[in-house]
Amino acid sequence: MEMRLIHIYPDLMNLYGSYANVLVLQQFLEDMGYEVTVEKLEPGEERVGRRGDLFYMGAGTEHSARAAMGYLEEGGLSGWLKEAARDGAVLFFAGTAMELLGREIRERDGTVYQGLGLADFITEHVEKRMVGDVYGHTVLCPEAVVGFMNKSARIKGVGTPLLCDLELGWGNETYLSPEGFHQGNLFASELTGPLLVKNPHLLEVVVAAICARQGQKLPEDRTRDSLAWEAYRATAARLQGRLWQKPGFPGMGAHSLM
Amino acid sequence: MRKWLAIVLCKICRLVGRCVGRGSSLPGKLALAVCPDILGRLQLPRQVIAITGSSGKTSTVEMAAAICQAAGQKVIYNREGANQIEGIVTMVLSHATLAGRVKAKVLLMEVDERYTARVFSYICPTRLVVTNLCRDQLTRNGHPEEVCGVIDAAIRPGMELLLNGDDPLASCLARGRGKVKWFGVDRCAISRDHPAGVYHDGAYCPVCKEPMEYTYVNHSHMGGYRCMHCGHARPCPDYAATEVDLEKGRILLEGDIQIWLSHSSISHAYNVLVAWAVGCSLGIPGREAAAALDGYKLQNGRVQSFVLGRHPGVLLVSKHENTIAYDTNLQYIASRQEDCTVLIIVDAVSRKYPACETSWLWDIDFALLSAPHVKRILLSGQCCRDLAERFLLLGLQGWSIQPDIAAAAADIRNQGEEEVYVITCFSDRDKFLSCLQEGRGTCGTHGGGRLWKCA
Repeated sequence: MEMRLIHIYPDLMNLYGSYANVLVLQQFLEDMGYEVTVEKLEPGEERVGRRGDLFYMGAGTEHSARAAMGYLEEGGLSGWLKEAARDGAVLFFAGTAMELLGREIRERDGTVYQGLGLADFITEHVEKRMVGDVYGHTVLCPEAVVGFMNKSARIKGVGTPLLCDLELGWGNETYLSPEGFHQGNLFASELTGPLLVKNPHLLEVVVAAICARQGQKLPEDRTRDSLAWEAYRATAARLQGRLWQKPGFPGMGAHSLM
Repeated sequence: MRKWLAIVLCKICRLVGRCVGRGSSLPGKLALAVCPDILGRLQLPRQVIAITGSSGKTSTVEMAAAICQAAGQKVIYNREGANQIEGIVTMVLSHATLAGRVKAKVLLMEVDERYTARVFSYICPTRLVVTNLCRDQLTRNGHPEEVCGVIDAAIRPGMELLLNGDDPLASCLARGRGKVKWFGVDRCAISRDHPAGVYHDGAYCPVCKEPMEYTYVNHSHMGGYRCMHCGHARPCPDYAATEVDLEKGRILLEGDIQIWLSHSSISHAYNVLVAWAVGCSLGIPGREAAAALDGYKLQNGRVQSFVLGRHPGVLLVSKHENTIAYDTNLQYIASRQEDCTVLIIVDAVSRKYPACETSWLWDIDFALLSAPHVKRILLSGQCCRDLAERFLLLGLQGWSIQPDIAAAAADIRNQGEEEVYVITCFSDRDKFLSCLQEGRGTCGTHGGGRLWKCA
């Protein structure tokens, strides 16, 4: 069977290894026996209307994210994405791309631009960067999610977060607040970089959603990337050792670039 | 009185620190506690040059200082690379009289990008040099555009800028400013038509975010660029390298000034160019400045030779989280001809964030190690599994993991005699070097770690 993964603006929105989320999805699906095509769309190359099983956009700078939103509108991709989302396609927006799923983005200088409106949240850019390790839980799988946050935005009004319970780190609005967004087949998180590489269980959740759309289930006897799981457990163990720490300890706070 | 006390305290602490082999930051920290505006109360040399940027600062400052010294100009600089406010205070006060007069003709300051505003609020450099702006330490810096904004806000009226014209982001700092000089590497034998590497930060114009065109690329996002939309383009350099030949290990400046490189890498060539440009901007004749750099070997420990068993080795210090530093060293290994083993150690990425944020590993072009002469790759340190996952998805063959650094060193020591390249960061460097010392007595023993092999 075929799978088509649409990677939106991979050069414009590709900070800190965001592309690896697509790479690991492709690998997982190929290991399951799917014939996977990854279609990279750059501005001006939008082939609107083609079927996609997954639409992915990664992290970019704040300036790039705004430009990406403009290109989505210009190229007609925003309408296509909304239609695909209504049709049940899986959308995974990582890093600053998450902000574009919401209603609007308020920048530091006070200007406002509209997001895709696929979710009812708004984003406010702030001076302080919120930086640090993250350890939290999602209802989608039993294992904790590990990651790293490095953002300068507060996302307000998320009703259905991806991580409902944070034990460590910055969430959408404040320290330890819920993080990300999940509704049906829409997944989003501002956690940095290759989130699905670092969290093989979350990878399976997204793959399961992609497969379900084709009426398939994840096979029980699927091969598991033992290295990825070892890396995950090592990171999780290091973070569990820090859970006693409270805001104000080194590595926990927001900071501004001096 | 507070000024005097701060200077005395700093000098005493510095003296004590030197006796125990430490103390490039603490004396300055104490001086700042006594007199927070101490930097603003000093009588500085007429020439104050600040060097900042994502990579190459320490090497550039060291080589620029060598040029000044060869020209007979008394220069002070942060020799240990302590480039945050405390380190700079230590450096300056150590060379000040008790009255606060800094005894030198030239003050060369390596300044951490994030600290430019704070340092420049007290010391207004006559010239600010920006080596480049690239992906570096996301945990501290956010991203290069954020850093560019920080430096931009720190620039004060009257400062002359010496910028990397090949870097489309760093060159944005010239916008709206008049006193700007440029350095750059012209199209030459090392230039490519298209960027290499995992990502392309020059794909979009940093000014207007429209697609940008390159006529050639020298290194990372540095080369001949032009935005057809807003016109942001590479300027004609005032200080140009007209040829870089990494096979022969030489760089040609202004067409006829030749410098032999002690370390044949494109990053080092850029650093040599910047140092030379700094020397020239101080009025030192180009040939004289070049002579001081001819075959210059860096003293800052970035490249070290060693012997491990029967293996000759080279330790290439690559700052973790800095793509340019890593890719440069990987390119260096790829350009060699002899069979070799490569040991990559990622143990402590950050003291502040012990989870070892490893997203940056995905920005490194490890595919360079697919060269046929790279016979074996060993991944070590507590993040070796994250590294291995990177190698696995890349499809690279011939690697294995050994979490224990001593065991990895012993494993190499016990077989073969091929060249060994070790890539790691300052924070992990000594962990490997200590293995070399231990190895004299414990050769042949393996640590408690487990060896995990692929292909």
